[in-house]
Amino acid sequence: MTAPVVAVGRPAAPGSGVLRVVVTKVLTAIVVLFFVATAAFLLVRLSGDPVKLILPPDATAQQEATLRASLGLDRPLLTQYLDYLGGLPRLHLGTSLVYDQPVAEVLFSRVPATLELAGAALLVALVIAVPAGTFAALRRGRAGDTGVMTGVLVGQSTPAFWVGILLILIFAVQLQVLPASGYGGFAHLVLPAVTLAVYSVAVIARLLRSSLVDVLGSDYIRTARAKGLGTAGVVLGHGLRNAALPVVTVVGLEVGSLLGGAILTEQVFSWPGLGRLTVEAIQNRDFPLVQAAVLFFAATFVVVNLLVDLSYTILDPRVRVTA
Amino acid sequence: MARPRLSRRDALRLGGLALPALALPGLLSACGSASGATGAVLRVAQTSDPKTLDPQKQGDLTSMNVLTNLFDTLTTRGPDNRLAPGLALSWSSPDPLTWRFKLRPGVRFHNGEPCDANAVAFSINRLLDPATKSPIVELRYVKRAVVVDESTVDLRCSAPDPIIPAKVSLFGGVAVPPDYLKQVGSAGFAKHPVGTGPFTFGEFQRDHQLRLRANPAYWGGKPAYDELVFLPMPDPSSALASLQSDEVDIVAGLTPDAALQLKGYTGVSIRNYPGIRTSYLSLDTTAGPLRDVRVRRALNHAVDVPLLIKAVLDGKAREVPTMFPREAFGFDPAIAPFTRDVGLAKQLLAEAGFPDGFDTSLTARTDDSNLAEAISGLLARAGVRARVDLVDPGTYTSRLTSSNRSALGPIYLAASTGWTLDAESLVQSNVRHDRRQSRWTNPEADRLVDAEEQSLVPADRQRAFTGLQQLLKQEAPFVFLYQIDNVFAVNTRPQWTPGVVGVLGMAKATVTP
Repeated sequence: MTAPVVAVGRPAAPGSGVLRVVVTKVLTAIVVLFFVATAAFLLVRLSGDPVKLILPPDATAQQEATLRASLGLDRPLLTQYLDYLGGLPRLHLGTSLVYDQPVAEVLFSRVPATLELAGAALLVALVIAVPAGTFAALRRGRAGDTGVMTGVLVGQSTPAFWVGILLILIFAVQLQVLPASGYGGFAHLVLPAVTLAVYSVAVIARLLRSSLVDVLGSDYIRTARAKGLGTAGVVLGHGLRNAALPVVTVVGLEVGSLLGGAILTEQVFSWPGLGRLTVEAIQNRDFPLVQAAVLFFAATFVVVNLLVDLSYTILDPRVRVTA
Repeated sequence: MARPRLSRRDALRLGGLALPALALPGLLSACGSASGATGAVLRVAQTSDPKTLDPQKQGDLTSMNVLTNLFDTLTTRGPDNRLAPGLALSWSSPDPLTWRFKLRPGVRFHNGEPCDANAVAFSINRLLDPATKSPIVELRYVKRAVVVDESTVDLRCSAPDPIIPAKVSLFGGVAVPPDYLKQVGSAGFAKHPVGTGPFTFGEFQRDHQLRLRANPAYWGGKPAYDELVFLPMPDPSSALASLQSDEVDIVAGLTPDAALQLKGYTGVSIRNYPGIRTSYLSLDTTAGPLRDVRVRRALNHAVDVPLLIKAVLDGKAREVPTMFPREAFGFDPAIAPFTRDVGLAKQLLAEAGFPDGFDTSLTARTDDSNLAEAISGLLARAGVRARVDLVDPGTYTSRLTSSNRSALGPIYLAASTGWTLDAESLVQSNVRHDRRQSRWTNPEADRLVDAEEQSLVPADRQRAFTGLQQLLKQEAPFVFLYQIDNVFAVNTRPQWTPGVVGVLGMAKATVTP
């Protein structure tokens, strides 16, 4: 297992405290977001002309020019770029070309559904993966271990959309106990959350198992056992806590990929989240909306990474010294 | 919405999974869709939501499907697909540059505001105002709308346009409430639209559901059920699964091969109705072998359209002689499709100097890949080896309307929906030599297009269209294919007949409770 300090991936700043780490991190995050914003701006403009998609193919060149001007897309690229950057600090994200509504309004109306789905999926993933990983680590090399890890591998290598369709066929079409799609109550959440969780279960369980195997073989565990602690005490009190460090990193990364991976799941289950919104915005070349969505995803990653880093200092006192 | 989900399906399907699951339905449906619906509800799934609820700021089918139930237009299409009175009772053309509409008296918007000449003129002028940023382009020759009296509106044009009455059966002719718009602004209007249509706006949760309520005061009579719900489902498989699990009644916008997934299920069926979306291959007659008319005819003889319809479209399309659908004004039934004859195609190619055929490419949108591959296979039988190039729909549209008319390669698969049901719509941008998508120069064709576009006399226009169809068949600047059906998957509840245009006006539908 990689040492956690390396996994954090940043230069050591000796003698600094948590505050200093936070300040450095936030500044770095702003620089990262600036580059993401610039890349999003340029890439989305390389992808094609939204006016061609908004108007029907039999529109005249004159009609295209009029619409382009009224959308402000005829202004020089630099002007558009500066306008866009200038709006960002005040969360002025522009007006969606397709929905003709403020981008912030469109975007934030979808955030709850995506967070709900990603949160539920993470919960499902942890509830399954932690016991599974622990069980496999304790049964290392035996049939139980092999069984659990095989199951987990199958989950990891199955595409989410296929799992989704399979679950729909079983639970919605054949058994008719859960809705096939849509958004509303708890029942609507079950199938998409499970679908989205499948991959993360595998990642987390496998990592937890190997991490726990390492920890359980270490000196301090032997010391703890020698002090007369039972298996449960050793695993819960010492093993899991120490094995959690790399797992926290990966759970953090999983939050990011759950948000991003929700795209396919949202399509399959008609879930009204950000993923679906983003896919549609890209298809429609809705520049302001794509830019804002990309920035939102990037900002989420940055914040999650920051939280992961901070959680290290709590979980592992050694990190605090080198950070 | 609480239904006994298990009762309708046969027990065999449940298999061994049924027992542990039996405990779940009660528990889950309690937390499920408790939207407080009352009375009869019709639920329609389509691929996406309307882009906006402002009828003058959209122009795509999924938006129109919803908005046509909220708003009325000046004219409309009757069950026979003929032009029928809508908000206008009659129309005439007092001079070549004016169209005069006499309005239906007593119509009111959902908020009580009168829909009179003032409202109609306001609506048209709002559409024409560049500040509205409307994607509706049909009224390109209309300069402005003028109130003549309380129930009469004139549309003043910059050039003669014989099919204005057909064009205002679409959203170019939609009525929006002037006072309400002044009060709430465009943004407020798009959040809570107010029209004159058979349904009133209920609630809209984007990408989740859009609920409309029957309008008891509708001038055309109250719909036979209480609520119309649109559900956006981007994935056809899950939309069909929702139909099978009784969460929707109609799945619209299906391709024939997606609909095939339903074969063998009881209680759900595929219904197809004649449609007007017409497909063809555009040939670049300005370069390469396609300059030779014999080669272009050979391609038409080689592509066995009936076989294509049977094999790829599950029979859900009709062959077209040229590129006009049967229902469009101007269609001449006397013109027969090309004979399908590979031998003749090879012979024509040989005469043109290509005894061994030639290599070319066929560009299509990614969602038409099956069709493009099949057409490529049919061409190959005659020796024309067309490599299939697939491009995403956005790129396709950009290239189609770019200034480079060869941007989509020598041959591309295209389709047009002539919403106006006038043949003009099918040729307006791709036949006259100076139009955006034209790749063919023929003075006679230009003359005929001018004749049908500028004359207000139907008989003269029909003559021009007949001449144009004869010329199109003779010179073959396109490979003519088919007009595809509108395909729906439905359960046993709804009864309705969609119009040939394919927009989902559900006012006349009935629903079995």
